[in-house]
This record gives sequence, C-alpha cells and structure tokens, in this order.
Amino acid sequence: MNYLEAKSAPAREDRLKANIAYGGTCADIKSCLKSGCFKSGGGCLNLAGRRFSQTQGCQFTLSLAILNTLRNAVVVMHSPVGCGACSISNVGVNKSFKQLRDPKAEGVIWLSTNLDEADVISGGERKLREAVLFADKEFRPETIIVANGCVPSLIGDDIDAVLGQLQEQTAATLVPIHCEGFKTKVMATAYDAVYHGILKKYVRKPDRLEKIWEPDIEKLKEQYRISRNVNVLNVGSMSRADELELQRLLNAIGLNVTFIPCYAEPEDFEYALETSLNVSICGTHDDYFVEHLKETYSIPFLIDTIPIGRRNTDRWLLKIAEHFGLEKEARRLIDYENEQLDKSLEPFRKNLRGKRVFISGGEVRILATAEILQDLGMEVVGFKAHHFDEFIEPMFDALEDIDDVVFDVATNQPFEQANLIHRIKPDIYITHTGGNNISAKHGLPILPLFGPSYNYLGYSGVYEVARRLNRVARNGQFNKKLSQNTKLPYKAAWYEKDPFTYIKQQDAVEQTEV
Amino acid sequence: MSKFIDRPRYTCALGGALATLRAIPRAIPIVHASAGCGHNLHNANNPGGGYVGGGYCGGLSLPSSNVVERDIVFGGEDRLREQITTSLEVMDGDVYLVLTGCMVEMIGDDLDAVVTEFLGAEKPVIAVHTPSFRGNSFTGYELVLSALAKKYVAKQAVKEPLSVNVLGIVPVQDVFWEGNLKELKRLLERLGLRVNTLFGEGEGLESIRKAGAASLNIVVSDIYGLETARVFEQVHDIPYITTGFPIGADETADFLRTVAQALSIDPSVTEAVIASEKSVYYGYLERLADIYNDIDLQRYAVVVADANYAPGAAKFLSDELGWLPELVVITDPVDENQKETLLKRFDGYESGLTPAVFFDTDASAVRKYLSKIWPANRNDRYYDSFSPAVILGSVFERELAAEFGYPLLTVSYPVTNRIVLNRAYAGFSGALSLTEDLLGLLVAGR
Repeated sequence: MNYLEAKSAPAREDRLKANIAYGGTCADIKSCLKSGCFKSGGGCLNLAGRRFSQTQGCQFTLSLAILNTLRNAVVVMHSPVGCGACSISNVGVNKSFKQLRDPKAEGVIWLSTNLDEADVISGGERKLREAVLFADKEFRPETIIVANGCVPSLIGDDIDAVLGQLQEQTAATLVPIHCEGFKTKVMATAYDAVYHGILKKYVRKPDRLEKIWEPDIEKLKEQYRISRNVNVLNVGSMSRADELELQRLLNAIGLNVTFIPCYAEPEDFEYALETSLNVSICGTHDDYFVEHLKETYSIPFLIDTIPIGRRNTDRWLLKIAEHFGLEKEARRLIDYENEQLDKSLEPFRKNLRGKRVFISGGEVRILATAEILQDLGMEVVGFKAHHFDEFIEPMFDALEDIDDVVFDVATNQPFEQANLIHRIKPDIYITHTGGNNISAKHGLPILPLFGPSYNYLGYSGVYEVARRLNRVARNGQFNKKLSQNTKLPYKAAWYEKDPFTYIKQQDAVEQTEV
Repeated sequence: MSKFIDRPRYTCALGGALATLRAIPRAIPIVHASAGCGHNLHNANNPGGGYVGGGYCGGLSLPSSNVVERDIVFGGEDRLREQITTSLEVMDGDVYLVLTGCMVEMIGDDLDAVVTEFLGAEKPVIAVHTPSFRGNSFTGYELVLSALAKKYVAKQAVKEPLSVNVLGIVPVQDVFWEGNLKELKRLLERLGLRVNTLFGEGEGLESIRKAGAASLNIVVSDIYGLETARVFEQVHDIPYITTGFPIGADETADFLRTVAQALSIDPSVTEAVIASEKSVYYGYLERLADIYNDIDLQRYAVVVADANYAPGAAKFLSDELGWLPELVVITDPVDENQKETLLKRFDGYESGLTPAVFFDTDASAVRKYLSKIWPANRNDRYYDSFSPAVILGSVFERELAAEFGYPLLTVSYPVTNRIVLNRAYAGFSGALSLTEDLLGLLVAGR
C-alpha cells in the first residue's frame, strides 16, 4: 500500500469496499466475509445506502476527534464558520486528558477561516494564509494543522500549495489534512485522512547526534532497547487508565510501550520509528498507518483483535508475545490474570446473568464488548455497527452462539435502532455516544460503549465494565421515567415495518426510465 | 469582508436554524447537506448550550440527505426528493422544514422547485436556504423564523389587542433562552398582555401559527430578531419595538415602561407592577446586606458576551450590584451601525462608570484588551492591580480566568461547564439568579 504520493487518502468504500447499510444476522455477516465481499473484485456491499437517512457524521468531524488530541497544536478549520464547531464539545475534557500526559498541556485551540459568500466566489486562500500566520504568531505551536472542508475543496483552493509557500514563514510545521466530508460516506475514512497528513509531515527519522565513535556495548544496548519497543496505536476514545493497563501487561512480559497518535506531540512520531512492532488495537483505525510504516520503514505490524474481554485480551497479548518469542512469559501472565479476574467477576455474574443486551457502535468494539457480556452470563440480542469491513473477521472467534443475533450496519441512524429495540426489547443497552437523546427514550439503562475517563481495556477493563454494568442495571429509573413522559419522533407505522426497509443495495437514486 | 475567527462563539446559519427548530417540538428539520453537517452542529449546540439536548427531533435523529461526491457531481435533487418523501413516511411531525447546507447550494440544487412538488402533502413542507457561508447561528434564527412567518403563520387581518410576540432571544445561543422567555412572559403578563414567546414553556407550533394575531412584536435585542420583525411587519402588518435585553430592576422597569407606552397601557398599572416586582426583588437582595459589606464583595469585572448579554450584564453589574465592569468585549460580528447602537447602551451609567467596550470575535483577543485598559505592573512596589475581579464570559475565558486567578461565571455561548435547565438571567428573577451565581462563586470556599 502506498498512497502517499496522492494528495489525500482514498475513501474506504473504494479502498476497503466498506459497507454502511446492511441488515441481517451475524451468520449473514460471516458469510459475506467468506464469500469475499471485501476482497479485490468483491465490493458487492459497498454501494449500499438508504432511501431514508439521518445525519451521521463525516470524516471532517471524526478527524477532529484525533486532531484535537494532539499536543502543542493549533487546528485551522478551512471552511465556513459551522464546520468543526463540534470541537466545543471537547474544549474542556481534552485539556484535562492532555494534562494526564503533560501537566503543562494547553487546551484545544482552533480557528475557522469563516468562509463567506464572497469567498465562495473568489476563493478562500487569502483567509487561510492570514489564519495560519496569525496562529503561528499568536500561539507559537509546534504544529498547525489545516483541516480542509467541503467548500474550499469545491471552489478549488489548493491548500497544499498555500501551506507549502507559508512553511518558510512559520515556526510551526504545517500539515494539510484532506478530510472533506462529502468525499466519503464511510466516516472512518477520517483515520486514513489524518494518518495521511501525519505520515507526510511528522513521520521521519529522529534527528539524533551521530557519534564519531561509540563502543560496541552502547550500540548493542541501543539495539536491544529498540528490539523491545512497541508502539500501541491508541484512539481518542481510550482513557489514560486503558493505556496504563495495556502498558502494565506489556511491561510484564518485558516490552516497552509508546502510545501514538492520540495525545502525542508531533515529535513523538519521530521517536516512534525506533520500534520493533506497531500494534493496532482496532483494525478500523490503523491499517492505513501501519501498512505505510511497514512499506516505508520496514516496521512490522499487528492488526488482530482489540483487547476488550478476557479472550480478546489473551489473544492480543499472545500475538504480540509471539512476535518477540515471549509466549511462555505471556501465557504465565495470562493464566495468572485470568484466575484473579474470574473469581472477582462472580458476584456480578450472579446479578447480571440472563439479562439481554443490545450493543451499538464501532464494528470491532461492539463484538469485543459482547465477549465481556457472555463472560458475565448475559445474553447478546443485537448489534448495530457503524460500518462493516474485513477487520470484523477475527472478532467473532471469542463469541459463542452468536449466529442468529441480529446485525444492523448503520452509522448512527437511530430510527433503525428504535425499530429494533422496539422488537427485541432488551434489558440493557450499550451504545456509542451521540444518539442517546433517542436511546434514553427507550427507557433502558444505558452503559456508554466507551469513555475516555473510564477503563474498558485489558483485564482491569473487564472488571470495570462488569462493575459499572452491575451499577447501571441496579437502577434505570432516570431513563425509565423519561420514556414514560416523552415521545420518540417516529410514526407508529414505522415500528410495524421491517427495520431494514429503507436500505437499498445501490445507493444511487433510482432514476425514472425516460 | 469577513476575517478568520479564533474559536467562534456560534455555529453557522444551518446550526442556528437547527437550534431554533430544536425549540419547536414537532417541527421536523430535513437537512439537505453532507452527512456530517447535522451531526457536527448537534455536537456544538448540545454541549455549548449547557447540554440542551436534541429535543423532540434533534441530535442524530435529524433526517438528512447525506449527499456525497456523486450527488455533488450529478446534482442532489433526486436524492432530496427521495429524502423528503421518506421523511414524511417515518418522522412524526406537524411541519417539515427543508434546510440546506453549503454543498447543495453551491451546485445549485433547486430546493424551492423540489419542495413545491410536496404542496399536496398532508403536512406543510417549507424550504429554507441555510448554507453555512451565508451567516452564523443568529442568521439561522432569522432565516427559520422569517420562513415560518411567510409560509406558516396564519394571516389575521384583525389583531388581538394587547397581544404581543417576543423576538430576539435566540435558542441555544442564549443558553438560558427558555428561562429568560419564561420570565419575560411572566412580567409582560402582569401588564395584562397576552404573550406569545413562540417557543419555550407552554408554546409550540400552535403558538407560531397564531403569531399573526399579535398587535406588537417586542424585539428584546438591538441586533437579533430584527429581520424577523421586519418580515412580520411586511407580511402580517405587525409593528415592532426594540428594547435592550433587560437584566435587573432598572433595566426591566425600563423594558416594561417601553412596552406599556407602545401599547398605551395606563402608566399607573405599569408602575404598580414595577413597584411590586421591586419589592420582592429587594426583599431578596436585602439578605446580602450583611455578607456583601462584611467581607467586601465588590469586584472588578470583565464581561465577554454576545450583543444581548454584554450590555445587559454590564449595566446590571455597575448600577445594581455596585461592581466595576471595566472591560466589555462583544463577541458577535457586527457592522458599524450596530456598533453605534450597542455603544449607546453603555452611556449614562448611574454609577458614573464607563466601561471600555471592544468588538472582537477572537477568543484570544480578550487578554490583549485587558492589558490595554489596565497598565501592567512594571515592577512597582505599589501597584493598583485589577483585582479582585470576576469574569462573566463563555467557557473560552477559562484560560484567562485561570491565568489571573479570577473566578469565571459562564453566561454566554459556549457554556459547556454548566447544566442549564430553566434558569433565567433576564428580568427581575433572572437578576436574582445572576446575583446568586456570581456571589456564590465568591463564598464557595467558606
């Protein structure tokens, strides 16, 4: 894979043939995978869409979820004033999360080039120049990231050229991110768009002093150090507690860990090249990045499962250990951890056994989380995944009796969720943030699928999720009362229809024959 | 010619339109735009508006055509037609407003033509052009209300005497919109008026439908709601007056007198209402006589807020709370005429103070103005510092507040560090809440 000569990363519906609209069961999903839907020449699902759709997010907003975590950075939204206004939602929390990594870190700073009607006609490059120069002078950041919106892309602003010219005038490294929302219907293309910019501008061999003479022992020490380094690619939805848990586990088998890209500083990407393995925790996020690092810097990578749930964590650890020949150490750790954890889950199993749960969110994460539920004796009764691609495959291994469970592929689309919940009537709902305005009115206790202030990953994450599920299940009065006194905005007739009524295989609008 | 903005304190026309519709249950927006527009704007409106939520049909339930590259190349009208048809099938509403994003406007989708095809639909479908590049949230408020005034509000030749509409309080941008509207309604009703605030407690689409019956529109703002008021004047023949955004006894009394005069209400009635309100108000403020003076609760103040709150809050701080609001930064983009109008609101303070007033849309500008109006300590042994002080602003002022150790009360969008339900800062009751919150900051450690 090498797309770095191109201006921007390709859309995932093209590169991975990813799908955003599908309704079936887990067995159907598995058979899609088997029949090669996502392999080259496949792509039988990637054109699917909906006749009725609800707002779903775009790669611009999802890109910001990563970009806003970078330390010592200013983000310039090159767009009309509304794009990226969602940064307001992490203005406070991101500062505290950054400060968990560096106590002196600043909060999120962004500028909008505020393109107006005149700019739509005459171009927005002047304003972009002014914004970048202002950001450099006013905030003195290490890097200025320009996120390109739909409008400048359509009017033909050449942000790469503008930033290329400006680079000589600014102290900050200038990074273009091509994340125009209308370019892809798979929101997760954002990860590629961001990594594309990172790969081009931050990733380079660190500028270390070259020693004229160095004793062999020093060289060997350095080589040994690098031979024990792994990068774990974190995501914005991970907490510091998640990182510390993964670090604890990898340290325990003798490996050192660096976390990138979230909450990293631009310089961290240079030192991250001094590593022996790039470890993804989620295929949805990282394949573009690690493939390029392998191609350019010959760093091997591992994309397999996400360490959520005991089996997934065991498997994730073992796969890493295998790379370093540390299986024995890993097995010892795994046995020890499992024994401790298993006992501690008993009281929760007693309370939670048999409860029926619906889960929605990212494809990898929901299936991994289902493992925890099965571990607790709960019954998984439905999935709703943002999208669906090849990276879902390993996730089924840790689950049992899952074939008949309904699987809806929908980026948000709470109307489908409402229909499914109405039919399936689960006891608990585990869901991605954002749509709870609707979810809460189903009257169910809700546990967020992720949360950057909570621990979900590793063995401690299993315990934390169990503990919180137990708490959430004990009192669902708030949502219950809400549901009794508020109404969902869907017509009664909608609940009678098949939940997948509006999915169409070919998302081009059907033209009337002339 | 507009400039870039350092951390805008508003979203775009589409964001303002969605926020306004958020305040009208059973009005269903249908967004004709890229897939991210509605999502992004909900994630600004919700947290920035003190966690205002998605309402009846908000948040991620917003129907949206989610146009992609192919639609942009070949035109999005077919997709829009399909989306309106299916939205009418699925969404349970009483009126449907089709709002546009930038892309479909740039490629020239004929929104009005497509919407005309739905004239025969069971419920009205109304087109509103709201591309982001056309303006900010305040523009979106005007666009939606103007469209409703033209196409939804029932024509009524004979007006109901003593019936008024209240405009100029922009949902979400005024984070305390619902509480404020409730308080203003309460006060105006005491004058014997029939009050329609269009949205908020007890209002809904029916209120909007009947807004054509009013004999006066009261615009509680020098800047917002004027466009809508003009449309009401042209289409429904309803005159309007503008007033300041009243906070505290003085300004609210003036507000009531202005309205009463416009409707020829007997001044003795008005004065009786004012007197009774003031008696309650000072009944509460009297409680503070001890603590205010025991521990010297007078403060310098910096006010960073929109064109409604900045003048209203500064005047209240100066003339009623007895504070020293030395610096005011008004954060909306305003033209020269609007600046002139707003500046007049800072003249003639009873306290004799004259705040330094600046207009700036950049979050980083506030600090610069502070060092401009207050000389820095040049290593002087005795230095008359700007302290103790309090900042009234948005959550963007948190850094500045932390740097100088000033307590911060967030009153202006975005307010992500508070939960806001029915709290008001307008009127008599609102000023009591504002006093509680401000002085509450100062006694929090006691």
